[in-house]
Amino acid sequence: MLELLLFAVPAGLVILGALIVIFAKNPVHNSMGLVLTLASLAIIYITLNATFVAMVQMLVYAGAVMTLFLFVIMMIGVDKPEQTREEIKGQTLLVSGTLFILIGLVSFIVVNSGFKWDLYFPAVEYSLEGTPDLIAASLFTEWVLPFEIISLLLIVATAAAIALAYDTKVRKPK
Amino acid sequence: MIEVSTDWYLTLAAILFSIGFLGMMIRKNALIMFMCIELMLNSVNLTFITASKHFGTIEGQISVFFVLVVAAAEVVVGLAIIVSIFKKQSSASVDLLRTSRG
Amino acid sequence: MENLLLVIIFLPLLTALGIKIISNLVNELLLNFLTINSALLSFATACGMFGLLLTDKFKPIHLELFTWIPSPEILFEFTLDGLSGIMMLLVTGLSVVIQIFSTSYMSKDENYSKYFIYFNVFVFSMLLLVMSGNFLVMFFGWELVGLSSYLLISFWSKKQSAAKAGNKAFILNRIGDFGFLVGLMLTLNTFGTFNYEKVFSEVLNGNRESLSIIVICFIIGAFGKSAQFPLFSWLPDAMEGPTPASALIHAATMVTAGVFMLVRISPILQFSETGKLIIITAGLLTALIAAFSAINQDDIKKVLAYSTISQLGFMFIAIGSGAYVAAIFHLVTHAFFKALLFLGAGAVIHEMHHEQNIHKMGNLKTKMPITAAMMGIGTLAISGIPPLAGFWSKDEILASTFANGGFYYGYWALSLLAAFMTAFYMGRHWLLIFHKETGNDISEVHEAPKAMVRPLIVLGIFSFFIGFINTPFFHGLEKVLEETLHYVDITHLPEGITLIILAVVSIGAGFTGLLLAYLIYIVDILAYFKVKIPLKEEIKELSSNTLYLNKFGEVIFVKGMKSFSRKTAVVVDGLLIDGLVNKISSLFYNSSQKVSRSQNGLVRSYVVYFGFFMLLLIGLFIATPWVLN
Repeated sequence: MLELLLFAVPAGLVILGALIVIFAKNPVHNSMGLVLTLASLAIIYITLNATFVAMVQMLVYAGAVMTLFLFVIMMIGVDKPEQTREEIKGQTLLVSGTLFILIGLVSFIVVNSGFKWDLYFPAVEYSLEGTPDLIAASLFTEWVLPFEIISLLLIVATAAAIALAYDTKVRKPK
Repeated sequence: MIEVSTDWYLTLAAILFSIGFLGMMIRKNALIMFMCIELMLNSVNLTFITASKHFGTIEGQISVFFVLVVAAAEVVVGLAIIVSIFKKQSSASVDLLRTSRG
Repeated sequence: MENLLLVIIFLPLLTALGIKIISNLVNELLLNFLTINSALLSFATACGMFGLLLTDKFKPIHLELFTWIPSPEILFEFTLDGLSGIMMLLVTGLSVVIQIFSTSYMSKDENYSKYFIYFNVFVFSMLLLVMSGNFLVMFFGWELVGLSSYLLISFWSKKQSAAKAGNKAFILNRIGDFGFLVGLMLTLNTFGTFNYEKVFSEVLNGNRESLSIIVICFIIGAFGKSAQFPLFSWLPDAMEGPTPASALIHAATMVTAGVFMLVRISPILQFSETGKLIIITAGLLTALIAAFSAINQDDIKKVLAYSTISQLGFMFIAIGSGAYVAAIFHLVTHAFFKALLFLGAGAVIHEMHHEQNIHKMGNLKTKMPITAAMMGIGTLAISGIPPLAGFWSKDEILASTFANGGFYYGYWALSLLAAFMTAFYMGRHWLLIFHKETGNDISEVHEAPKAMVRPLIVLGIFSFFIGFINTPFFHGLEKVLEETLHYVDITHLPEGITLIILAVVSIGAGFTGLLLAYLIYIVDILAYFKVKIPLKEEIKELSSNTLYLNKFGEVIFVKGMKSFSRKTAVVVDGLLIDGLVNKISSLFYNSSQKVSRSQNGLVRSYVVYFGFFMLLLIGLFIATPWVLN
């Protein structure tokens, strides 16, 4: 029962947060919805034995990334309400069509499988626990090359962000 | 007694992805579209972690780690782009940007 | 040692390239220096190679340059034997003499360098043709001489008639080339190789399946190139080209390529009685028709052109009666005296300021004595007056025809008639130009420049003495060709008194012809005795229009083809092909206009498209196994 509760409550919060993200008018509300989703997901990660990833999720996403989002929102201003009227011709129709196909596909799968998805977690509990030492053991031996490359990516991204945000007009001497 | 099985988690991930995609389609604000991308990325992460538990291997979590880093990098660059778009047209609406028109 | 062949063959090509490169930088003098010295070098090398051949009893020298086509293996190879040796000497030697003449004749022409480029390309192609080691290389040279002939005929391409004449020559040659090409394909199909010796040994060993058709194909090729009936009408038109080029190409060398080729394939030819009969009949017809036409031509060069056709007819008669040595002999002597006549005509044309009508000349011997004397030697030589060159070769042809017996007596008699006509029209030609008092104003005319006269003298000497290379007392040429023709049935000359009687008869024909020309055109005997020839005007018309064969061909082939191709151009090309192409392009244009509208530049639209089609794809994945089961 506790297991079910541990899944259902965070899952509900995840979906709620996601819906806030896409439907709220105020960008600050949107970002708060995203924080809700990310934090709830961290809980789900813990139930899935991925403690380290859950921690990183909290730190990087809910911490750093969301701060960045909020920062940008503050920078560009929240007072301008977004135009809600659809201006692209046929967009509504296509979106509805896409949703229709999605729902159709899901219902087809559900009906076709007779509500029986035989995807259970293994009966035998693995001793696998996503602890930092276990992840580090894999990351720094088997995955060390991608790890190094990803650091390069971070440097490039930082440089790109600086280059993009740099206002060239300011540089001109007066 | 209902057992919380793998497919529950996968269904949650699918729902999350669909919501993210729906947001991509209906919202004009570049920032919110970005958040939707984050939603979709997170749904993928959830899938990875579920798979990691299902198969009892650590590689799923390693992948999540990499996805996290890439997402962070992407956010950094993307937000910089949004800022420069905003500077140009003083609005974050993507509908005003039509430079790739054929 | 055999690599020297490459020097002989490729030197003219290199010269052509060199002239092309330097032509804008240097004056005519340096250009002359380059082209004549390279021709001399080529000739000297040729002489050396011929000497080498001579000491080695004319054993063929082979040179394999590279593998042209790997399967079936066809090499780019050359052969030097007696036959190609003679042709090689002829081409390179005449090239030197005629180029010296050309430097004077063509000077002050605006396309001076172009002329020498074409000329050298021609020499290269001709050498490639005669020294080829297999049929394909020969065909290569064969086509190239056709090309350079075309270029030189329409050299003054601003003249409409010159351009047309070039086209005509090219197109009529194509008919012959088509025959040659089919012959080549059949040869490859039958024998699996193009190499002369392999093909010949196959034939001699009894592989004679479909031999006649191959031979006939080759004969068609030879007819096209050598202007034989019915493909001869391009040669008189080819006189639009510069006269020295006519001398080399349309008198001495290229037009004899057909003769050369038939002698080359003589081991095959000897087994095809049909082929030989076709050759001798066409040769005789050509000789007679051309001689008949030459009698009433007024253009100084056209007389010579018809005379060339007629003499080529003689060569074909020789081949048809199996006298291959006689054919080559006549080829050699004809090359010299016809080149002489053409160059002499060129000198006259040059001095008469491009006046070519022989009725506007007359009594030029007082003004141009050397030219007149040399042209006189040429005329006597072609008429068959002993001891000049033409006598020996023509007599050998007539005697060989006679020696075959049977119905060949008839051919002999008709050939004799052609020989008589030759003497007649050549006598008329010389007398009208150089002897007849016409009262035309010729005070402006002078002897030609030295650069023209000296080549004439050289050729005059050769025309006088070249006949001695193969007399009944000294079979020089026969020895040269012995190795080439050693497995061929050669018709030999009759022995003893018959030969002498035949010689006397043919000398008589020559003298009679010349005398008759003198009596009719100078003494005007017809008017004196008030002889009326029935249908004189009609015959004259017939003669000067070549029996209307040209007009006939024009109406049947050219006009019909033109209207047909015009209709084709409108219907097939204009409506069908162009219409289709335009339709397709406008289809693409319109559809792309429509499709590009979907590229509206809006990111969200793209997202929707992406999602829509991705879902469709997923649906397809799900549906496929479900549908298949």
